[in-house]
Amino acid sequence: MLSIDFDLRVGDFDLQPTFESGDELVVLFGPSGCGKSLTLQAIAGLRTPDSGRIVLPGERIAFDAEARVNMAPQARGVGYVVQNLALFPHMTARQNIEFGLAHLPKARRSERTLALVDLLSLQGLEGRRPAQLSGGQQQRVALARALAAEPSLLLLDEPFSALDASLRGVLRRELASLQKRLGVTVVFVTHDLAEAYSLADRIVVYDAGRVLQQGSRADVLSRPTSRRVAELTEVRNIIPGQVDAYVEGVAAIRTPWFTARIRDPKAPIRGDVSICIRPEHILLVREGRESSHANDAVVAAEIIEDVPMGNTHRLYMRVEQPESREPLLLEVDVPAHPYDVIGVATKSHWNIALTSERCSLVSN
Amino acid sequence: MALVAETTRTRAIGSLGLGWLFGPLAILFVAFLSVPLIALAWRGIESGDLSEQMTSAFVLDALRLSAITSTFTLLIAIIAGTPLAYLLARRDFPGKFIVEVLVDLPLVLPPTVAGVALLVAFGRRGVVGEYFDDAGLNIAFTTTAVILAQLFVSAPFYIRTAKAGFQSVTPEYEGVASTLGASPLRAFWRITLPLAWPSLVAGAILCWARALSELGATLIFAGNFQGETQTMPLAIISAFESGKSIDVSIALSLILLAAAAVMLLLLRVVTRTAPVRM
Repeated sequence: MLSIDFDLRVGDFDLQPTFESGDELVVLFGPSGCGKSLTLQAIAGLRTPDSGRIVLPGERIAFDAEARVNMAPQARGVGYVVQNLALFPHMTARQNIEFGLAHLPKARRSERTLALVDLLSLQGLEGRRPAQLSGGQQQRVALARALAAEPSLLLLDEPFSALDASLRGVLRRELASLQKRLGVTVVFVTHDLAEAYSLADRIVVYDAGRVLQQGSRADVLSRPTSRRVAELTEVRNIIPGQVDAYVEGVAAIRTPWFTARIRDPKAPIRGDVSICIRPEHILLVREGRESSHANDAVVAAEIIEDVPMGNTHRLYMRVEQPESREPLLLEVDVPAHPYDVIGVATKSHWNIALTSERCSLVSN
Repeated sequence: MALVAETTRTRAIGSLGLGWLFGPLAILFVAFLSVPLIALAWRGIESGDLSEQMTSAFVLDALRLSAITSTFTLLIAIIAGTPLAYLLARRDFPGKFIVEVLVDLPLVLPPTVAGVALLVAFGRRGVVGEYFDDAGLNIAFTTTAVILAQLFVSAPFYIRTAKAGFQSVTPEYEGVASTLGASPLRAFWRITLPLAWPSLVAGAILCWARALSELGATLIFAGNFQGETQTMPLAIISAFESGKSIDVSIALSLILLAAAAVMLLLLRVVTRTAPVRM
């Protein structure tokens, strides 16, 4: 179990991360400059926190301010791939990988290097210098080097940010399967939500040096606990309202445009709240039919803009109610196939359903 | 495309105009630099056999002394200067600014001033030298003094260049090396040192060249005794003043010129064949 709880001040910036992770892939997600990279440096031992504790997998205490424990980076057994990789430019791929194996006898070293070359498909590239490798190959060498000494923890700082989209996808899948096979804890830093979503077992949402929320991927993405997390995780639709009633775990939320019934275990019982719902969880209702769930709020809306985004269409829709002062603008994603089948392009006025079980509530 | 063509044309016209303007001045200056060297080489050839001068005790003593003292100077500069250069490149410490000024000062200080300062410090009546003298240790006007004088004026060349070399190696490499289990010393030896190597060699060559040509500080602090403190530059002056044949000066000058040429060539080769271009 990796357990992080420390305070590190750098100038005006105060970093106070708190999170835990088992043998899984945990993504630190947050905007640039929120302290994600600094957290990795502290875990690797390249920065010393002012207070708190860092416990590495295997109950090894790497840092404990009170017990005056501060393990040297070389004793921590943590694999660390920095953002620009920092491959040693004067060494070949093989020498880079072997750098962390100096403690092994020569035969064992070659054996281990060979296994890593195999694991990361680097056959034939062992003799090349970093400058003679492509971005994806450099990436793999950096991973192999970090994994060489069989660390119990692997830290990756936006390792795929410099690569093109298709290669990023390939490497993400490789990394995910590698993590499962090796059973190593991986802490992966990114500010790219799609990357976080496709990789994470567990997501830790950062903002301004603090952890706002942590949990399983599905939990964090569909159940933000605060408005800020909803914004950071691109919920897009954050609708202000008030709790009218709360009966048996179902809250009735009144908004100026409609009333919604939402089952949310974390629902605030009363007061001002916001309904959070992602664009893909708002559905267009075909004419003459009803929404499949009684709890779904159904409202009339008008398409004011239709932006094709490859395999989905993002619809910008306006909900108007005579008694409310301003219209509500919603973003709705419709996959390309249903878009064609129900003929979204043929008319602009639709009933839309806000899928009740996909709504979550945050206090304002 | 149009844009590219246009910029090329403008540049061509621009450089052509400046070429006419700057060319003649540049040629004049190149001539000024080359004429004395050609003349020296020419006189060397003209006077025919310089081997008699080259093998005279006077010249050989100076040659031997210069070789020994400049080599010692270089070794001390490297051994003591490398850690200092590294610390200046990597660490912030109180008084760093003062240390940097101290390192740079000999570069702009007239060597004669350095000589006087060394004498006042380490001379027999010097601030520190007094105690050495009591201990039976005499520094001024010995071969040791020659080395100290050379070290004082030439070590900054090594330290400055080495510092720039270390600065060009991102500390991130050392950080990553440490997470890979390397001790700070191993990270320095395997990563930082090889990557800074071209700068270290360049600095060493500059340092050695400056040590070899040292005159002013040596003359004042070490004197001018054949076989003991009379290095080649000093020998050239002595040959001149004592009314020896100009051939002696020419012989010594040719040796120094050849050494300088070799060093420049070496410098070029080293900076061109850097292990990595970053």
